[in-house]
Amino acid sequence: MEGDRPGLERRADDARVVTGLWLALAQVAAILVGSAAAGYALAAAFLPPAAPRPERAAWGIALGLSLLAGSALLAFATGLSPVLAIMLAAALTLSAAAFVRRRGTSPVSPLSCRGRPTGVRAVTRPIHIFLALLAAFGVIVFSLRALAQPLWSNDFLAIWGLKGKILFAGAGIPRRLFTDPSLAFSHPEYPLGLPLLYASVCFLLGRWDDHALAVLFPFLQAATLLALFGWLRRRGASVALALAAAALLAQFEPLYSAFHTGLAEIPFSFVALLFGAAFSDVLDGTDRFAVRRLALAAFLAVSTKNEGLLLIAAAAVLALFAPRRASAASRSALAALLVPAVFLTGIGRLWKGSLPLRDFDFSYLTARIHELPPRIGEAIRTAFSEIVLPAWPGLLCLGALIAAGRSNASGNRLLALALISALAYLLLPSLAVAGPEWLVRTSFARTVSALAPLTATGIAIRLAEPRDS
Amino acid sequence: MSPRRAVVGLASALLLLVLLRQDDPERLRSRARLLGRMAPLDGTLRRLNGTAAAFDPQFYVFLESARRGLPPSTPGVAILGAPASSPAAYLATYHLAPVPVLVAPERVPPGWVLAVYGPQRPPGWKVIAPVWKGALMTPAS
Repeated sequence: MEGDRPGLERRADDARVVTGLWLALAQVAAILVGSAAAGYALAAAFLPPAAPRPERAAWGIALGLSLLAGSALLAFATGLSPVLAIMLAAALTLSAAAFVRRRGTSPVSPLSCRGRPTGVRAVTRPIHIFLALLAAFGVIVFSLRALAQPLWSNDFLAIWGLKGKILFAGAGIPRRLFTDPSLAFSHPEYPLGLPLLYASVCFLLGRWDDHALAVLFPFLQAATLLALFGWLRRRGASVALALAAAALLAQFEPLYSAFHTGLAEIPFSFVALLFGAAFSDVLDGTDRFAVRRLALAAFLAVSTKNEGLLLIAAAAVLALFAPRRASAASRSALAALLVPAVFLTGIGRLWKGSLPLRDFDFSYLTARIHELPPRIGEAIRTAFSEIVLPAWPGLLCLGALIAAGRSNASGNRLLALALISALAYLLLPSLAVAGPEWLVRTSFARTVSALAPLTATGIAIRLAEPRDS
Repeated sequence: MSPRRAVVGLASALLLLVLLRQDDPERLRSRARLLGRMAPLDGTLRRLNGTAAAFDPQFYVFLESARRGLPPSTPGVAILGAPASSPAAYLATYHLAPVPVLVAPERVPPGWVLAVYGPQRPPGWKVIAPVWKGALMTPAS
């Protein structure tokens, strides 16, 4: 490692961009915490009063990050300075939160007695402290993986980071992102949620910093653990069970890896968990805010990855097959799912034009359908031999945990969402232009790992003892 | 303890072991050391010492040197002599963004700068600035 390497000598005008790494990391952390604080205030409009603080914090983080990304879009559309647009969005958010608070919908602290039966306050036991420390250890370990060097994965350089950098540098969305053949590898058809978030953080930072941006990923991991813990607690799981699920998920290296840092899998895994939790809440009729949460989560899912549309389709199928007694809830769920999906897809189509999914050839579903069965076989064989079999010890443990659980609607629903999505990820490579084996090898483990929070939550809620609630 | 609880406890403990075994403690320590060593360096040196440039560090230095040497409002950069791999194309496009980049194009669009990595100097082009292990060029006429 060299200090002032030949070819990279500092120039006089570089002084302003040379910033200590620790300071840069702290700046991004402050931006993320600030946005989460604004989101936390607004989260009162999305959660029932008795929602635990961790769950409110998780939704607050999702809202805060959406506001950041959304304000960049607002700035591009109106010509406002991006920093001004972000400040404006923050001021509007805080005003809206104050309005919600005045209307008396603010949540009650889980530590207060208001809105909660007395006598259920959890007692902190040594096992709770151990499990919390284990979860924190997982976040620290992932932070080391994530922060060790500037974001480097191919898909960061070719897709997510490239688009973010172009949005940041041009303070707008240039048409060439969708039309320039030399950028075809950047997947113009992918949603712009994450690049907008990158650009927005960098507007506040005052420079493009692809090392400091890595802070976002442990932050999202922590948000996912808060969402998992908070939802499980609200739905009756014991502190020990909710903490154990969070502690195990925090160690899940196939998702929280150095390679995934900078890509859309970790943001999507967080959104998928919020989505699954809200979807279950709507169908179970837990509270009147659940439909709002589901609509927000559906919006975020479609804005983060194309897999968001698959998740919505899976949920729509489950809602259609929900028991008749839940038909009103199913209709609400379908509306909350379909309105954001149709709206965002329509806007994207109008704005970007028709952009094909460049990795897939859909003629395998029509003219070349006779070639499909062997391709499906190839996809399944590759997935089993290269991804499923090497992971058998962990999968066996998961199987035992699922078998030991008690069937309940919420848990089954979350597992069904994860299973349908995983099956889609397994079968879609059979339409791959470059062959099923190639797409399974390059994407199956990555995309399936993003279903881990959803799966962990589904397994955990099935393990909750009836007396826990 | 019920058999069900025993199964849950055992499966959870085994799963934890499986998950913890995925990370080599020595690798974690080396990451922590790397982070400590990287921190005082500026962004370009951190990138140079990272994974993205590892396939050819000299090529990354060339890119950074070319980025610094580009005339203002360059409409695009065509790169000749880059390693023939996707990572090289991705790194070049990302590093020079938002300036459009073409790697090894058949034809250089009018007004674009040619960045040549290596000793070759295509005929009909003149050097406007030497850069690390290469040159920036424009049409001679």
